[in-house]
Amino acid sequence: MATEGLHENETLASLKSEAESLKGRLEEERAKLHDVELHQVAERVEALGQFVMKTRRTLKGHGNKVLCMDWCKDKRRIVSSSQDGKVIVWDSFTTNKEHAVTMPCTWVMACAYAPSGCAIACGGLDNKCSVYPLTFDKNENMAAKKKSVAMHTNYLSACSFTNSDMQILTASGDGTCALWDVESGQLLQSFHGHGADVLCLDLAPSETGNTFVSGGCDKKAMVWDMRSGQCIQSFETHESDINSVRYYPSGDAFASGSDDATCRLYDLRADREVAIYSKESIIFGASSVDFSLSGRLLFGGYNDYTINVWDVLKGSRVSILFGHENRVSTLRVSPDGTAFCSGSWDHTLRVWA
Amino acid sequence: MKEIMSNNNTTNISQARKAVEQLKMEAYMDRIKVSKAAADLLAYCDAHIGEDPLIIPVPASENPFREKKFFCTIL
Repeated sequence: MATEGLHENETLASLKSEAESLKGRLEEERAKLHDVELHQVAERVEALGQFVMKTRRTLKGHGNKVLCMDWCKDKRRIVSSSQDGKVIVWDSFTTNKEHAVTMPCTWVMACAYAPSGCAIACGGLDNKCSVYPLTFDKNENMAAKKKSVAMHTNYLSACSFTNSDMQILTASGDGTCALWDVESGQLLQSFHGHGADVLCLDLAPSETGNTFVSGGCDKKAMVWDMRSGQCIQSFETHESDINSVRYYPSGDAFASGSDDATCRLYDLRADREVAIYSKESIIFGASSVDFSLSGRLLFGGYNDYTINVWDVLKGSRVSILFGHENRVSTLRVSPDGTAFCSGSWDHTLRVWA
Repeated sequence: MKEIMSNNNTTNISQARKAVEQLKMEAYMDRIKVSKAAADLLAYCDAHIGEDPLIIPVPASENPFREKKFFCTIL
């Protein structure tokens, strides 16, 4: 009975040593294909010119730290969430607030816009992800139509609609990610593998199929098959929590931002890290990253209140943007790439172009 | 006591077995050379950089954030 489930010659110790030797094998296989560095190949690419990027809009209205934001597909509206429990929908052209709802919890760490533009999702310390339909009827109370979709056993750190309003992907402090049906609230798939809180996720661009990447406090970035729930690839080169992950526009790579003060680029087909974006002078963590439309620029929001702009191919920093008066906590490029928005612990959001 | 121990053992073993299966799958996946991957990243950038409004700025009148129009409605 004590040996139930064991095969011949198999012990816990033998499985552990097989795991170690496989890890070694994985590194060897990856190293065999490491014939050149990305920045070396990129030497032949023309250098980028000078950048003039300024704050074009400042969105004021949150009463406390802004924790998360997302763009609407209309390239104009923005949803943002804050430590004080408020979720606000803004028209970024005019800076007007179009909707506001107060969540029953503080620290609303995640928010997302539905692809149709007709709803938003948010959650945080309530361990849930809730969907609010957006209505322009002044008589309707937005909070009344709230629908609880996801239930985790710890805080919600990130959420994203998939290609439709019908499904939501969530990441949680409970160490898992999950895919939910919005209408029924049913759990469609769960993703287990992270050894600690999952802090971020990003869906692959639709052309590249049903995968997503997640990053966590276990310093790992993991790529998942949405249908099977299986982890396809994992990367462990960061030296601290991974706060943000974002796919390269082609879907063949993704970037990450970490508390180890670096951002990194991982190529999925080469199955390895191919670039590190760091400087000795940058010692504070990167909280959020996103690519410009072509993938040539990587914007990183940092805990030292700045935004660093990196040349993705050459690995060098092309610009540093000042303006926020506290940590930058969230950053997204607009759907058509004309601007990017950053949110900060200084209670504001800024749109840069 | 022995039963509790064996339950722990079975869980640990099944976890260890899953870890080994996962690593096998990851170790034996098909990979391409970094030189090829890098070339493809460069090619994508090159193909799209002309349409990237944050690199090749469009005229101010076409970027709603850069233009100096004031958004007011006359009531």
